[in-house]
Amino acid sequence: MKDKTLILGNGPCAHYIAEDLLSTGADIVIATTDKTCDFSPSEHSGSIEILTDTRLVSCRGAVGDFRILAAQNNKEIKRTVAGVIVAEEGQRKSNFSQYGLKASSNVIPLFRMKELLLDASRDPGIFSEVKKVAFLNGVFQESNPVIAEEIMQSALRLQSDLNLKTYILTNNLKVAGNGLETLYRETKKVGTVYIKFTSTRPEIHSESDGSIQIEFIDEITSKKFRLTPDITVVDETIVPSDYAADLAKLLSIDTDPDGFVQADNVHRFTVFTNRKGIMTAGPSRIIQARDDQIVDAGNAALASALLMAGLPAVPENRAEIDKGQCIRCLTCYRRCPYRAITLNTRVVVEPHACERCGICAAQCPRGAIHIKDLEPASISKQMTPGDTPREDAAFTPFLVAFCCSRSAVQAGELSLCMGHKLPPGLKMIEVPCSGSISFDHIFAAFKKNADGVLVLTCHEGNCHSERGNVYARQTVDQIADRFPQIGFEKDRIALQTLASNMGTEFAEMVNRFEANIIELGPSGLKK
Amino acid sequence: MTDKNVLIIGGGVAGLCASLELANLGIQIELVEKSIFLGGHAIGYTCKATRNTCVKCGACMVEEKLKNAVSHPNIKILIGSQVKNISKNGRFTINIHQKPRYIDSQKCNQCAICLDRCPLDGAILNGFSKNNIPFYGINEEKCLYLKDTSCHICRDECPEKAINLDEKSSKYVSEADAVLVATGFQPFSPVGKPYGYGLFKNVLSTLDLERMLKQTARVKKPSDNKPPERIAFIQCVGSRDSKLNHLWCSKVCCGSAMRMARRIKDRQPEIDITVFYIDVQTFGKDFEQFYKDAQEELGMIRAIPGDIYETDSQKLKINFLDNNTHETLEEIFDLVVLSIGITPGKDNGEIAALLHLKLADSGFFESRAEEASAQNTGIFTAGTISGAMSISETIASAGKAARQIVKYLRPNSP
Repeated sequence: MKDKTLILGNGPCAHYIAEDLLSTGADIVIATTDKTCDFSPSEHSGSIEILTDTRLVSCRGAVGDFRILAAQNNKEIKRTVAGVIVAEEGQRKSNFSQYGLKASSNVIPLFRMKELLLDASRDPGIFSEVKKVAFLNGVFQESNPVIAEEIMQSALRLQSDLNLKTYILTNNLKVAGNGLETLYRETKKVGTVYIKFTSTRPEIHSESDGSIQIEFIDEITSKKFRLTPDITVVDETIVPSDYAADLAKLLSIDTDPDGFVQADNVHRFTVFTNRKGIMTAGPSRIIQARDDQIVDAGNAALASALLMAGLPAVPENRAEIDKGQCIRCLTCYRRCPYRAITLNTRVVVEPHACERCGICAAQCPRGAIHIKDLEPASISKQMTPGDTPREDAAFTPFLVAFCCSRSAVQAGELSLCMGHKLPPGLKMIEVPCSGSISFDHIFAAFKKNADGVLVLTCHEGNCHSERGNVYARQTVDQIADRFPQIGFEKDRIALQTLASNMGTEFAEMVNRFEANIIELGPSGLKK
Repeated sequence: MTDKNVLIIGGGVAGLCASLELANLGIQIELVEKSIFLGGHAIGYTCKATRNTCVKCGACMVEEKLKNAVSHPNIKILIGSQVKNISKNGRFTINIHQKPRYIDSQKCNQCAICLDRCPLDGAILNGFSKNNIPFYGINEEKCLYLKDTSCHICRDECPEKAINLDEKSSKYVSEADAVLVATGFQPFSPVGKPYGYGLFKNVLSTLDLERMLKQTARVKKPSDNKPPERIAFIQCVGSRDSKLNHLWCSKVCCGSAMRMARRIKDRQPEIDITVFYIDVQTFGKDFEQFYKDAQEELGMIRAIPGDIYETDSQKLKINFLDNNTHETLEEIFDLVVLSIGITPGKDNGEIAALLHLKLADSGFFESRAEEASAQNTGIFTAGTISGAMSISETIASAGKAARQIVKYLRPNSP
């Protein structure tokens, strides 16, 4: 039996993915909370199972072997799949309250206008009483190109096909989408009036007879105007669906600040999540136009194809848990950003899901997790000072810099390549993630006669392990706070953030640190 | 499965990403890049993190993709190379012209001595990525040896004997089962605009500023190398411009300019920055908060200036129509940054003719039309060749093209 891919969702994006995967012979399961699913694939060689009215209950296991439990009308459904793609639709909220308006026959949400326009193609008479239509588009809150496009399309239809007068009231008009500038100009050509607000805002009044009056100062002529539209169309905010939020929790997927099912992290471009084998596409991860959903679907299908071609490689020297020392406190389980630690009768590192970031080992209070070559003992063997003395200073500080392999190591190499001079006593120690640095690593450096220790890591929000740099900062802060209590200078330890392409800043950081340490003098712990 | 070969034209973000995706599926890639450096325009972009926090511009991802591509066993990279003709008889046969490299990538140890000793400015170029090996290249348009053999200091001084200025160009023939065109965009040249670009030293493009920040980490006036007191950014230069028939928003400039402006404020808080704009576009997932902070830190003026004049003291005078008073106002700045748009690649016409592809009126490729025919022709497109895209959108576009190529090459492989 071939491995299956589970697609969660029932919108266009989910269907594009399903169609794409089936066409190459992949086997898929579609699960949706909707009561019906009208997906009918064209000619295909893969197998398909559609589960309607079905909610995910749990997902155990790891990439290549996810054990799914779902509920369909109180019936338990169990499936084993190789990968999961979250492709749920977004949810729209009409912005009535922003404008102090209530829905009525002449104050309608954008989706209602789109329905009316569909009806109008059969019966143009439905707008016979209407002369003026005003659209409110991101007047008090920033809009987005998806909503702006729908508003401009609607205005274009009303204005050119139905001969109505249309007004679009907007703050920043969002034209950063395919063809939107052209659409904007088309609407202007047929007569849509744009009223743009920068420093002023309109006053919107509901009269006792239900009519709407919009008073505003035109920012170009400075004149006061009053608009009395027959229909006022209120824009919408796109948010993740409630079920998508549930899915993020059930699947342990990091979300962005608005709750979309993907962390706002460049390492997750395009459809990836913090868990290997779980992808997220389309409106479940971002506000997206239809064209971009097709692009996302292609990427999700590609990620799935890669998974079908073979499981992700097991990192060499991955984390291993020492059964004897483990007390099942579950710190590792909670802290692993990739959910590569699973609970069974004992705590297990899933080999294919592990990214070897080292966070579990650094965070384990019992020291029960070991990663070969990353142990403080083996790292400290690398801590040897250079033999070029600095002649222009009182002494040559021995500086140990723990460098994240993705950012600081790259920036350090670039720095040399750009011809920057680095401190002669600097020893760069490569670590997979700064989250792998424990108290023991830092103390080992001072024990090895370091005059100063630097932790160089990724900018906040840029850590591949999501919170590795946050853990590193906690570790460094805790040590720095304690140093004065033992009569040791807290400035001997510091954490700085940078990116792989910051060669110049790398040189600035390490040279500034060296200058600080020269001022402090040699470490008092030096043997 | 290493049964299929794909030729990818263009070593920018789209070409690198598509190469990696396909190579990871065991497909052999030949990646042809015209210039001597990989990574396209985006490899010169600076990290724009502000207050130690990533702002998701994606510049570091370009570096990572480049690094992974050059070290991938299934990717063969041909830099300084151009496709001369393509014929299809079952498979594609592609004739490629390779410029001389002059610097031996095996021998070069990136010591920068050639760059230091070269008597001419710009005759030796350096790249932006350490993973682009060699890091340096000879600029054929400026090198004195290539002009009249009068200077060969770099060759003589290179401690590794890595420089051969007599190297000749060569030909290379490639066989491929599919072709991906990812030749990217042309940054708008603001020379024709009345902003004095190229005339006034302290008028820069956003691309110039990206590179300046990446190389030196601080903003300085080119005229005297001192930090400016006041900077103006002018948005939509070459975008949303009906006179140029550029009826598109370039999507990335608001993000690029405002992220750089805030990054400058972060490191050099004494600098006063004003942004002239038409409509601020949404970029990034935390745009709402970003924009609020930006409005506090930056002066935002909704107007596009008409002209820029240089004063006697090399300051720049900007005239614009003030919305509140309806008067033409004048402001003086030390440095002006033009947010240049994304325009069609300058070789698009030639490429379209070479591959029998269709260009839209805008000069970009018709991505939808290409897609429809690609499963028959075996010729695919990706990236900004078909319009403005951010780095993340370009990565996505490359992924989608890679998926289509996989389906074309292996129609029955799940």
